[in-house]
Amino acid sequence: MQNALQIAWLIPLFPLLGFLINGLGRKHLSKSAIGVIGSGVILASFVMSIWVFLQVKDGNTHVADYFNFISVGDLSIPFAFQLDQLSSLFLLIITGVGFLIHVYSASYMHEEKTEHFGRYFSYLNLFVFSMLLLVMGGNYVIMFIGWEGVGLCSYLLIGYWFKKAEYNKAANKAFIMNRIGDLAFLIAIFWIIKKVGNVNYHDVFQFAGENKFSTADITGITLLLFVGATGKSAQIPLYTWLPDAMAGPTPVSALIHAATMVTAGIYMIARSNVLYSLSHTTMNIVAIVGLATALLAATIALKQNDIKKVLAYSTVSQLGFMFLALGTGAYVAAVFHVMTHAFFKALLFLGSGSVIHAMGGEQDIRNMGGLSKKLSVTYFTFLVGCIAIAGIPPFSGFFSKDAILLSAFEKSPVLYGIALFTALLTAFYMFRLLFITFSGKFRGTHEQEHHLHESPAAMTIPLIILAVLSIIGGFVGIPEALMHGGDKLSAFLSPVIKPHEGTPVSHSTEYGLMALSTVLVIAMIIAAWFKFRNYQRSEAAGFGKVLENKWYVDELYDKIIVNPLNKFGGFLNSFIEKFVIDGVVNGVGRIVNYSSRQLRLLQSGQVGSYIFLMVLSMLVVFVLQFFLRK
Amino acid sequence: MNALILSAVLGVIMMFSGVMLKQKSAVRNIAITGLFLLLVVNILEMSGMSFFRINTAGMMHFDRFSLLFNCIVFFSTFVYLLLSARDIEKTGNYYAEYFTLIFFILCGVILVSSFQSLLILFLGIEIISIPLYILTGSDKKNLKSNEASLKYFLLGAFSTGLMLMGIALIYGSVGSFSTAQINMTEKPGALMIAGMILLLFSMSFKVSAAPFHFWTPDVYDGAPTVFTSFMATIVKVAAFIAFIRLFGEAFGNLQPQWQIWIALITAATLFIGNITAVFQQSVKRMLAYSSIAQAGFMLLSLYAMNADAKEGLLLYSAAYSLATIGIFAVLIKMNDYTFDGFNGLAKYQPLLAATTTIFLLSLAGIPLTAGFISKFYMLKAAVATGRHLWLVIFAVLMAAVSVYYYFRVIQAMYFKEGQPGIITTSPVFKYTLVVLAALIIILGIFPNLLLNWYYF
Repeated sequence: MQNALQIAWLIPLFPLLGFLINGLGRKHLSKSAIGVIGSGVILASFVMSIWVFLQVKDGNTHVADYFNFISVGDLSIPFAFQLDQLSSLFLLIITGVGFLIHVYSASYMHEEKTEHFGRYFSYLNLFVFSMLLLVMGGNYVIMFIGWEGVGLCSYLLIGYWFKKAEYNKAANKAFIMNRIGDLAFLIAIFWIIKKVGNVNYHDVFQFAGENKFSTADITGITLLLFVGATGKSAQIPLYTWLPDAMAGPTPVSALIHAATMVTAGIYMIARSNVLYSLSHTTMNIVAIVGLATALLAATIALKQNDIKKVLAYSTVSQLGFMFLALGTGAYVAAVFHVMTHAFFKALLFLGSGSVIHAMGGEQDIRNMGGLSKKLSVTYFTFLVGCIAIAGIPPFSGFFSKDAILLSAFEKSPVLYGIALFTALLTAFYMFRLLFITFSGKFRGTHEQEHHLHESPAAMTIPLIILAVLSIIGGFVGIPEALMHGGDKLSAFLSPVIKPHEGTPVSHSTEYGLMALSTVLVIAMIIAAWFKFRNYQRSEAAGFGKVLENKWYVDELYDKIIVNPLNKFGGFLNSFIEKFVIDGVVNGVGRIVNYSSRQLRLLQSGQVGSYIFLMVLSMLVVFVLQFFLRK
Repeated sequence: MNALILSAVLGVIMMFSGVMLKQKSAVRNIAITGLFLLLVVNILEMSGMSFFRINTAGMMHFDRFSLLFNCIVFFSTFVYLLLSARDIEKTGNYYAEYFTLIFFILCGVILVSSFQSLLILFLGIEIISIPLYILTGSDKKNLKSNEASLKYFLLGAFSTGLMLMGIALIYGSVGSFSTAQINMTEKPGALMIAGMILLLFSMSFKVSAAPFHFWTPDVYDGAPTVFTSFMATIVKVAAFIAFIRLFGEAFGNLQPQWQIWIALITAATLFIGNITAVFQQSVKRMLAYSSIAQAGFMLLSLYAMNADAKEGLLLYSAAYSLATIGIFAVLIKMNDYTFDGFNGLAKYQPLLAATTTIFLLSLAGIPLTAGFISKFYMLKAAVATGRHLWLVIFAVLMAAVSVYYYFRVIQAMYFKEGQPGIITTSPVFKYTLVVLAALIIILGIFPNLLLNWYYF
């Protein structure tokens, strides 16, 4: 049997083929063919990924060098894939969750025209392809290619319904916000090339391991990489695109939020953990930015009424948790949370898609209520997702969040306090969402009530699978305090990520912290139950209004960045372009025209004057030649 | 030698054909067949099959460079006849004689491309010039044609005087007409330098370099368009071959003396040709100035005088001749020679407009055309000298100016409304244009298809 690692290039190749087939054949293939091809290629990748994972689990890692991608002067950048513990784990998440989302999509998008259906699936496949490239790349440049591809695909998919101007705006926003981060990433790559002369992970980390980076260099590089990560992973200050990205079809949101895109930043920093561990400044900034984002997004989520917006802000908030983990040096906890989050966030998004589907496109939870009776599968799976994200044992979210909270506690009790508060907010807004949507009386129109139905199996089966994963997904990382040797994930990732160094807390403290958070979370859920089980529509006022308007951050950005830039652009257009540039260009043209008119007069038509001019020039030449040249 | 004798014989045959044959088409077909034969025997000579063994006493030498150049000339003339032979007939009553004169001019071209002695150079230049005076004035009832012919003759006589004077001074200094002998002169005296400068002037006159270009717009404009085409292309590049041979072989060692003058002449030619062309209202007159501007670019090869320059000049000759012949062939078919006359041509004659566009793009030096790659060779050769970089920059700027007047025609054809009056064209004419355009693009992508002939 051939070694899976040798043919790992098949993993990204399958989605690429799917992209080509669905993209080119979108007018000729039937919907079912498109759906089967689109999902099938991801399944194929998933099977390959499992195979690779098993090989890696046995301790085989591999850097496959395929060909020389860029070769300039001394710099040579190979097209290489790196298959190790970290990338193989991400492969599983991307292709596994991605596959379920594809299957779900085939049913969810079924009412689209065949041509658009094909376009949708081709984008989806390209998205997965880009993400696979990102995590499989053996150096920063290949990662960057995937990184850009992911940005492009998010643009295409968010603007999938391109006939609505508002959606195109959201797509543009996502793309432009991401570009800001991409620029920082690019500069970081150049910086690495300048210092190391190479972008291969192996060489860069070896260089860093020998302490050859100066403090300024390492801080600069890691900060720039982090700015790149804030773009893709929606952190302050570049997070505002993510809630707007809800303009895309719901499965796309699931894909962006769970399997691809937003985890890219986490992956990048986890991959570069060797570099980050060298810079305390950066680590602190990462932790603070992560925590601030988590808190900010959680407060906004308290007052949102769009089912997808709540989930979007919860994603931003959860990503903040992951960055907090990264910043406190708990890289494994961050990766762990990426994994569990992928399960329950995909579940929640797909569940919300099922709700929206049943409600005939309605997204405002104020118009829902009492859906639990009609949508029982959706309800139960959604409930599982909420429990998981709230962090109640033994659901998956508990273990990963606990790991993060613990690492925050080790760093500082203040961080822990804020993080815990944010976790409580999470529980509160998630159950608010659950109760408003599924409990109480139905508040929508009569027509909607009549239309209510459970989604087809192609949609509910992925929900059930994800629900199961959300329940059991946390068992790979049971803390040492609860079970000796339970933290299999840390052990698995230890070759790539050095075990967490921190002041270990005693087991009794750890028990205490777990119990505290669990009790408080349950209390929050009960509070939410009493407040929202019979929700009545009411206008937000005072501080609630600030939250409902997302702290006015978008307005602030418009005021201090977008509008001044637009004005500056207007100035360049109306003054510099019209007067300076056009003036120079037209001026040259006028000079040429003028000289042409004057020179023409030399051509008098008189043979005598021609001969006179010729003789004159000959005389000049003779005089210069014989009297003035040495 | 094959081609020289054959073209002289063909000239005589054409003369008699006009008397013996009553049908115009027969005369035309003999001329076209004759040119084809000329091309064939020349290619045969290139591959080593020379039919005549004549001792030229060191006065002529048919080397690879001259033979390949003759190939280009014969091919261009062949295309020229395919496109414009009918129009030659329409110029006047004595149609056979025009073909005769063209064959005699080709004799002269062969002489100036392979001379080893200043006598042969002089002979060749005169054999080219005198039939041209006649062709210029061939539209006897047209006053402008007569005026142009007379002007050309007067100014031509002046330049002939300069050339003879130069040759005499050099003979006086060296005691020989042989280019090799002249080049071996150590410590050239004032007499020699003066002679060389006089030859520089007269050759500049022949290639219409500034400030000896004054005859060009008047003569090109006044002459029947079909002969302007011949003069502006085949005759002009022949003069260039004579020029580069003369200064490479006879005055190669004196390069430090003449290089700066060539540089100045080049700059002046580029400037006057390009700038004056901008304001012209007639496409024919614009093409006259364009031929001056293109001469400026070809002069760069003289300035550089290295291996690249020689290759480049061959390429330039082909690119320039073929494109210009094509444009003139279309122009002849137009009723109105102004830019406005081309308005809307793309709508009524899309094929003519498309091919003309390719010819114009090539003249402007847009990539993927032969014009681009030949300009590139010229600039490369000039940069390789390592001196006078300003000249290269200036040439590039002037090439940018040239885009303006070439694109004016394209603009008129494609973007302006109008109904161009045009004489109907035959299918052969159209096919030839398409082949010509294709050839220009092929040469632009694979210049080695031509240049490899120079070496193997």
